[in-house]
Amino acid sequence: MSRSDLNISRWLDAHSDRGAGLQVLLNGAVLADVAGDGDHRLVVADVKLQPDTRSRLKVYRGTLLTSDQTLPDIPSAVITFYPDNLEPKVPAVGITCGLDLLMYKNNKPYFKFSVPSLPISALEDEVWTKFKHKNEHDLTQLVDSLKTVPYNTLTSRSQKLLLLKPEDAADFVDKFKDKELKRYSPITCATTLQRNSSEWNSVSCPVLATEIGQIYILDPQNLSILHQASVSVSKATPSVIRAIGLFDVEYRILIATREGLVCLLRRGWLEGRNVLQATTYIVDMVIMPADNFIILATMDKTLSCYSKKGSKLWSQELKQQITCLTLVPLKHLSMTLIGVGMKGGSIHLYRTRHFVDYVSIPDTPSSLLFGKMGQEDHVLVTITTSGILDIKILKRTADFNLTQQSTASNPILQNKPLPLPKRSKLFLEQSARERQNPIEMHQHFQQDLIRLRLNAARALVQSQGDQTGVGNDKELIKLSAQVLGLGPKFTLILNLENMNGDKALIDLTMIFHCKSSIYQLSHYVLRIPLVPPGLIYKAEIKVEDVSSDDFQGQNPVQSVKVFCTRGDDTHPILAATINMPPTDLNII
Amino acid sequence: MGLFQKLALFLGIRKKEVNVLVIGLNNSGKSTVINHFKNDEDKASDIVPTVGFSIERFQNQNLAFTAFDMSGHGKYRDLWEHYYKDCHGIIFVVDSSDRLRLVVVKDELDILLQHPDVCNRKIPVLFFANKMDCKDALSSVKIAAGLGMDKIMDKPWHISASNALTGEGLNEGVEWLTQQIREYIVNNKF
Ligand SMILES: Nc1nc2c(ncn2[C@@H]2O[C@H](COP(=O)(O)OP(=O)(O)OP(=O)(O)O)[C@@H](O)[C@H]2O)c(=O)[nH]1
Ligand SMILES: [Mg+2]
Repeated sequence: MSRSDLNISRWLDAHSDRGAGLQVLLNGAVLADVAGDGDHRLVVADVKLQPDTRSRLKVYRGTLLTSDQTLPDIPSAVITFYPDNLEPKVPAVGITCGLDLLMYKNNKPYFKFSVPSLPISALEDEVWTKFKHKNEHDLTQLVDSLKTVPYNTLTSRSQKLLLLKPEDAADFVDKFKDKELKRYSPITCATTLQRNSSEWNSVSCPVLATEIGQIYILDPQNLSILHQASVSVSKATPSVIRAIGLFDVEYRILIATREGLVCLLRRGWLEGRNVLQATTYIVDMVIMPADNFIILATMDKTLSCYSKKGSKLWSQELKQQITCLTLVPLKHLSMTLIGVGMKGGSIHLYRTRHFVDYVSIPDTPSSLLFGKMGQEDHVLVTITTSGILDIKILKRTADFNLTQQSTASNPILQNKPLPLPKRSKLFLEQSARERQNPIEMHQHFQQDLIRLRLNAARALVQSQGDQTGVGNDKELIKLSAQVLGLGPKFTLILNLENMNGDKALIDLTMIFHCKSSIYQLSHYVLRIPLVPPGLIYKAEIKVEDVSSDDFQGQNPVQSVKVFCTRGDDTHPILAATINMPPTDLNII
Repeated sequence: MGLFQKLALFLGIRKKEVNVLVIGLNNSGKSTVINHFKNDEDKASDIVPTVGFSIERFQNQNLAFTAFDMSGHGKYRDLWEHYYKDCHGIIFVVDSSDRLRLVVVKDELDILLQHPDVCNRKIPVLFFANKMDCKDALSSVKIAAGLGMDKIMDKPWHISASNALTGEGLNEGVEWLTQQIREYIVNNKF
């Protein structure tokens, strides 16, 4: 067995069943410990749309189908939740079909919740009461009167009636006129919200969204309504719903709608607020667990990330249409990746905006799941549009550290906002104070600024006047000077220090410059003998002020320049200016 | 004194303790297998998933075994390799009813066989195709094929189907291992 036998992929192909024949909608499958034995199963709501087929609820244990039962209607979503804390802990499976949430436990149906009926317009009610009593000849007239009611506020029965051919209308009315008229809005999507603990197997509440945009949060035990709210003020048809937080403490429910809106609902709100408006149809949405960022997949092949307030943080255009998303939480690596299922059968993994890995499956995925299956913690389950069930397992040794290359992604897309800090309480208090006494604060500021400038100027003067020495770090020599005397005759004492611990200074020359009209020096060139490592050479020079009396005192500061050069090199290795004090003749 | 014991005495390995490493994925039945070999008074009635590892001792054919019962959970599998060096034999337990994870077993087996402390030694490896009583269990032949065991040329290996709950198949396997370890010890002049 050689190293090349090892697959370089991070994923192991555990199972692929081409004959599974599963047809699922987005979020139509879940992974859960439905038997309560620690062996997590795959629960699939298999949608069959053909006329004489029934949708089914299927449970897979590992690779084997262990349970298969028919569903009363076409399922729209599957959720799973722990209804209580009783041991042994067995989660319930909830399937939304039409108006109902059907609850199953241990593969047996045991509870049902139906969304409450909606008010019926007076006119429609009246029309159907008339149907009961009136004869055939009024029928067309009555049906026409129904047309004055907005179509979407009609009951589904009236909606259907309006769509029938006039000759079939009578039969239809006969069939239904004695039944109670009710208006419902079907459930379009569902999720769960943890009740009071974020432990994975603690009690959580089903959250349902209906077509007209009502949200119901249910008590998981008796399926009574705990909270009801509407998604948005404007028309909003929920298509994807996600919840984070705890029902009893604080939570956020995010709803993506068919109109391209993402609405937020928080604890206590009766109406959601629009967080953002996508430019095209939203395919899928996931919420990053740590920072609550909203990840959207849209029809224009784009994966984008928004802050929880709805401002766009980044977006990434992909090569293919996105069909589904999933979160890939990797606790042992403390990161959460985003799994992106795309048309054609590739699944890309993103760590924030960075592409980190991909896996291929035989065709377009319609649903992606990542989680615990069987005894394995990191399983990626894909169900494709052609019904293939594909299971991959993440290798234990896989890591997703960004390589240098992948971090340097497309520069055009790096429109990341600046990492500005949040507005802190301190900042807010400060700005409040500023608004209260602006004049005083401005004056204080100006005073401090002037003081600062003064200090800076003082420091400059001091450092200029400080003639304790200049140095050359590279050559490791230092020169310091001292001026003795009151004038007109001065003595200049120069100390040249060799700071190099190993090498002696050789072949150095000191050259002096000054205005000959003012000063006369005893030497203009000094040849410096060898200065051994670490020692100081001391030189003494006499300076005489020869300026005429009129100038004396007028040019209070005059200077002598010193250069050190090596050999014939014209470039000085050290230069210094020595400020000479003025000659105060009055003293003399 | 039986022939083996005499032989063992003659070879000077009577007091010899041999170390076997018991590995395999979590829930495969490693602790249950070891529990079977323990004396009746030491037997645990309730077996819980192992945390980290545990050390158990038992005798077989006058050879004192020290078994390192490793946890098979993903987060503890890193520990396995630290015991490769000092073990005289490896028992690899496979849950034959867990078809989903057969690829994971293969991956772990490949990592094991390529480890520097294992790849150049003729260390015997015993496979238990455990949980043979489960109705969807794969046969030991299928498991051997699935794990690509035919490619293991340089080490003696053996697979037996087993049921750790009843003990079926366990003795046969461990007898093979005992035999192999004796040969191994003799050849390597321990
Ligand atoms: N049906 C059946 N069940 C078995 C068999 N062997 C073990 N089990 C069961 O499998 C489960 C796991 O067994 P353990 O011995 O704890 O497994 P393990 O490999 O030690 O697991 P970790 O310590 O977590 O790595 C237990 O519930 C055992 O009762 C077997 O041969 N047949
Ligand atoms: Mg164990």
